[in-house]
Amino acid sequence: MIGTVTKPMEEIYHYLQGEKKVIVVGCDGCARISHTGGEPEVNSMADKLEEKGFNVIARILPERTCYIHKTKKAFAPYDNEIKEADSFLVLGCGGAVQVVRQVTEEKGIYKPIHPGLNSIGHMDTIIEDTLFLEQCQECGECILEETGGICPVTKCAKGLLNGPCGGAENGKCEVDRNRDCAWILIYERLKRLGQLDRLKSYKPPKNYSKMSKPRMLQLNL
Amino acid sequence: MKLSKLFNKKEFVITGEVGPPKGTHMSEVLKEARFLRPCVDAINVTDNQSAVMRLGSLVVSAKIKEQGVEPIYQLTCRDRNRIAIQSDLLSASAMGIENVLCLTGDHIQLGDHFDAKAVFDLDSVQLINVVRGLNEGHDMMGNELAGKTDFYIGAVVNPGADPLELQVIKMEKKIEAGAQFFQTQAVYDVSLFEKFIRMVEGFNVPIMVGIIPLKSPGMARYMNQNVSGIQVPESMIKEIGSVDSNSRKKKSLEMTIKLINELKDMCQGVHIMPLGWWDLIPYIVKEFKEESKCYEETRKAIAS
Repeated sequence: MIGTVTKPMEEIYHYLQGEKKVIVVGCDGCARISHTGGEPEVNSMADKLEEKGFNVIARILPERTCYIHKTKKAFAPYDNEIKEADSFLVLGCGGAVQVVRQVTEEKGIYKPIHPGLNSIGHMDTIIEDTLFLEQCQECGECILEETGGICPVTKCAKGLLNGPCGGAENGKCEVDRNRDCAWILIYERLKRLGQLDRLKSYKPPKNYSKMSKPRMLQLNL
Repeated sequence: MKLSKLFNKKEFVITGEVGPPKGTHMSEVLKEARFLRPCVDAINVTDNQSAVMRLGSLVVSAKIKEQGVEPIYQLTCRDRNRIAIQSDLLSASAMGIENVLCLTGDHIQLGDHFDAKAVFDLDSVQLINVVRGLNEGHDMMGNELAGKTDFYIGAVVNPGADPLELQVIKMEKKIEAGAQFFQTQAVYDVSLFEKFIRMVEGFNVPIMVGIIPLKSPGMARYMNQNVSGIQVPESMIKEIGSVDSNSRKKKSLEMTIKLINELKDMCQGVHIMPLGWWDLIPYIVKEFKEESKCYEETRKAIAS
């Protein structure tokens, strides 16, 4: 899932300056899980805007805003409001904002689409309602087989591939003394597995062309 | 001159360190280097040390070389991608720099531009391997160079790191990648260093032990808590604290000489990081160089 946090209201009011009729769009997928763009948050945002004098003419909650067909389906009953609106405020990730732009453009509508959230990462590990954590950077060439199932690309602050830097103190990272040094974790795990030899082999520089943007997955089914 | 010349002659090699300034005024750093010239075999020039943006180590290395001081050009992986790193290495070689020290580099969040983009395109082991390739006459992609580099390749190791085995594994990887000499993190605990030296006995590379003259009990406690692998024994903390602050420099000199005496037979040289007390260096060196290159007038100049 994509982790999101709500932008400060001052920033959002600034975006909406000079506009009156607003449609608030949420996302019942990731943003619901982050408690930033599900039904309660869409309603709460709409209420705040109305208190501030805006006219919220529709509240739309696609099942997953990133799925273009689901967003189109959610927008279908609101043709009149979409034509009437001055702008859209999207409580979804940066992808959701752009999907809403695409879906409205396809309808021939060219109006400002404002982001209401900041996207802060692809969280692959979740303790529901508590903690969302990134453990994988989607680097395109997984080395977890070599590193005891602990990813240094993500969990080492410097993304080092051949062992720790000189900065760990008491097993903790130089960047955050509350966080374990990924390479010490890898060492301990490989030692336990009897695979320390994997630590000794040279890892060549990463092929960062596999992380060049924008990334895409094309299926030819 | 490559440091290898001295190691091959079985000399006890002594290096110092200067940090480029924040700004373009080079007079102070060049003065330090000139004063140290008769005392030390070479001087490390730090690369945006502690992730604080400064004048570049390449330019300062080239400038002190012009003044007859042998630089050890420090290069970290923090701020440059592989194109910039290779290009800077070619530039350094073209400027006549012959010794390079390859490091990972402190993280950006510890420095004065904490919102910068951290690069770390390469790690230190890969960087060493890249330098070896440039020495062989090709870049990372295997393209032939019109003029290869000729660096003596240095690396760092932390004898106080915990777990030590992990540190030693990385040291071994650095040697396999092409590292030809090592400078260590500052050492205060002789028994800890001895344990490390026993583990790396068969590695057959010159090791220069890192020395930072102790300035005060507060500095020792700070390093013990915050600096990776530094363990100042309680007895040394008491000793530096046993004299008032006016006498600490003299005390520190005495302690540093004693410490190097205890360490010197276990290694091939010493790397002194004076942290501002560079006027101590001639007095330290005098104790360890049979034919001391520290001229009396230089010592006087520094002391004044």
